[in-house]
Amino acid sequence: MNRFYKLLIFIYLPFQQFGQGFQVNLQGQIQQGMGGAGTALMQDASSLFFNPGGASFVHQTSVNLGVTPTFARGAFLNANTNEISRTNSPVSTPFAAYGLFEIKDSSKLKLGLAIYTPFGSTVQWEDNWTGRFALTRLELRAIFFQPTVSYQINRKLGIGAGFVYANGKVNLQKDIPLIDPNGNYGHAELNGKASGYGFNVGVYFKATEKFSIGLTYRSKVNMKVSDGQATFKVPSSVANNFPDGKFASSLPLPNVTTLGLAYQINEKFNLALDVNYVGWKAYDTLSFDYENNTTSLIDTKSARMYKNTFAFRGGAQYKITKQFTARIGLAYGITPVQNGYVTPETPDANRINYTAGIGYDLGKHLKINASFLFTHLERMDTNLETNLSGTFKTNVCAPGISIGYKF
Amino acid sequence: MTFYKIAILAISSTLIVSCKPKFNVPESEQGNINVSNYVAIGSSMTAGYADGALSYDAQKNSYANLLSEQLKYIGANEFKIPFISINSIGIGNTNNAPSVLGNRTDCQGVVSLGPVKLATQGDLSVFSTNVYNSQGPFNNFGVPDIKVTDFSMNGYSNPFYQRMASSSTSSVLSDITAQNPTFFTMMLGLNDVLNYALKGAASESITPINGPVGIGFETSVNDIINKLTANGAKGAIANIPSIKTMAYFNTIAWNALKLDATNAEALTQFYSTLSPTVNFQEGNNGFIIADATQPFGYRQAVEGEFILLNIPLDSVKCNKMGSLVIIPDQYVLTLAEINTIENTINNYNTILQNIASAKGLAFVDINAFFSKMKTGFTYNGVTINANYVSGGAYSLDGLNLTPRGNALLANEFIKAINQMYQSSIPELVATKYPGVIFP
Repeated sequence: MNRFYKLLIFIYLPFQQFGQGFQVNLQGQIQQGMGGAGTALMQDASSLFFNPGGASFVHQTSVNLGVTPTFARGAFLNANTNEISRTNSPVSTPFAAYGLFEIKDSSKLKLGLAIYTPFGSTVQWEDNWTGRFALTRLELRAIFFQPTVSYQINRKLGIGAGFVYANGKVNLQKDIPLIDPNGNYGHAELNGKASGYGFNVGVYFKATEKFSIGLTYRSKVNMKVSDGQATFKVPSSVANNFPDGKFASSLPLPNVTTLGLAYQINEKFNLALDVNYVGWKAYDTLSFDYENNTTSLIDTKSARMYKNTFAFRGGAQYKITKQFTARIGLAYGITPVQNGYVTPETPDANRINYTAGIGYDLGKHLKINASFLFTHLERMDTNLETNLSGTFKTNVCAPGISIGYKF
Repeated sequence: MTFYKIAILAISSTLIVSCKPKFNVPESEQGNINVSNYVAIGSSMTAGYADGALSYDAQKNSYANLLSEQLKYIGANEFKIPFISINSIGIGNTNNAPSVLGNRTDCQGVVSLGPVKLATQGDLSVFSTNVYNSQGPFNNFGVPDIKVTDFSMNGYSNPFYQRMASSSTSSVLSDITAQNPTFFTMMLGLNDVLNYALKGAASESITPINGPVGIGFETSVNDIINKLTANGAKGAIANIPSIKTMAYFNTIAWNALKLDATNAEALTQFYSTLSPTVNFQEGNNGFIIADATQPFGYRQAVEGEFILLNIPLDSVKCNKMGSLVIIPDQYVLTLAEINTIENTINNYNTILQNIASAKGLAFVDINAFFSKMKTGFTYNGVTINANYVSGGAYSLDGLNLTPRGNALLANEFIKAINQMYQSSIPELVATKYPGVIFP
């Protein structure tokens, strides 16, 4: 009898998320021009991010501000219906600000503060798209504040460490497959602030005048959402099944271990190579814990099953004139997302990043760097949880500019 | 300044445009079929019957009409439907109005969500108006309640047929062959056994396997298929779903009689003299159901037995039906009755599958599809199952489907047709079609 009266509106709320795509490697215009490599090539204050151990070798007090407007266009071709859906995501603006302070001239100790956005993106799918009940919009932002100490042990060896405080927000929306007499579907919005802690340590070794090695470890930061707000719009007759209320969740931002090599061919010509090992295995489950559970609104646990992965980044820099520098680079990233787990949040795939950049010295103090990145992602998959089946394609164009001031 | 603004705008829009991913969408191939004149043959589901009645919206959302839209990708012409007026509420087979989900007050004064009839009566003018001359000839020959044995009957009196018949003496089959279809789908046979099941196996009869056309299942089906394929038409034949998959039989559990310890003991005491085997315990108990094979004509329901969706719930809640009062035979299917029905369906399905393979027609295993739905599955992030109201697939009559269910069913036809005829008809985006509408 109960079964008849109780409307068990069991709605799947597997709030899913982000991929390697939500790791944003846009932290410095010089490095971006060179495929994202820079762990062993110390050029300016952005070393605070790329290798805290090498920052002590940058002999200057300087600030560096950069922004990289990122234009990402995604699309999905449904394998069964041939329907194409597109994203109309807003332009995201990852930024980085670095301040490096020399306590006194040529001292071995340097202090720095880095503020940057290593993770985050906004994906907005067009209205009424095929996968609307899996996701309509995801906004993820994380800003890292990293006070850093860098110490030069001797002329060849430097070590450094930064403490990371991360602050962010997450906003996830999807439609609920319950329709009212006016043809409106339900909608769920999860909105929350998140924070977490971590660190960034590095060693820099200048083996010879021409050859240097860097090794860094950026720790995992577990972003915890403890006070999130879940809001539901559903037909009024089932409103009691979807009470607004708090939810808790967490999202691991993975650790990254990087080995970097740099080689100076001559005064004008530099090469850099980085290998990242990213600890994405930490992201095995995404769970949402609702404060007010009902038969329809149950806590969810969705398997993500990410795997640890490598990325290879290489680039070259050539000083054409005294003022003018040109850069070019290439990166290859292996996706952490296994087959069967590709989601519309970040339809990740193995990727090649093509990058180029220029630098221009405006006198002794001021330096401008610009960069450009293009990448194309393509992945055919059938998600095991939602059964959404088809091909995702994403094109990313990211032009960036930064200004450095040397005191 | 304006120059810079324009420059930034130009660069931004260039980046946005050049970043747009492109796809090569596969062409829809017709394979080795000609679907230009597609005809759908079937009963309630084919007509679009839903929520207990046939209406304009329901007709629009029949799997047959949805399928015809996809067949247009490979050359199908207009799919003509004997439409009920868009302004009519529609009508069901007991002259009833369709149901919607709404709030009802039960005998105990409890308000809850459930099916509510849109009106005390359906739109009777639907049955009194023949639309053949104004709208025909038709492509959708979904006739609610029709059995395979009814197809050759001249002047077949079913009001759903009468309103679309070409003449007062025509038969459904003669109207179909007059259309001379190049392609057809057939989803038939369910009513030959379902009418019996819907009456709790208390009345109505099951169409026998053997017998001449108009009496036996096999000859009647063969007759229909032979006439359809006489001119070389291709098509798809669906089988019949097991009644165990249907919401109508699974919504009210056999043991939904919930008792506290005192009532359980009192009831056991009440039955102890006549039927010492009847036993009630605290918690869920099997209902007391009619069973003519028992000494006093009743017994307790056992696991696997069905209480039908049309049982008067107020009698159960307020007048002790199922505990002190026996649930009448017409609302119950016993294990033996279910067994008879399921065996019949299996036999029918063998015949349907055999003729499909003998004639080189696509075979749509919708029995497997409905079983999958009974278990539940996820489609593009939406959970679909056979649960009443909440499952999203069954309409409020518990037998026919919602638009979403119909779209998924049409996709089953598409898959079978594509596989059989090397065509590539795109499937429907089933999430674009609604499930049950909630107030």
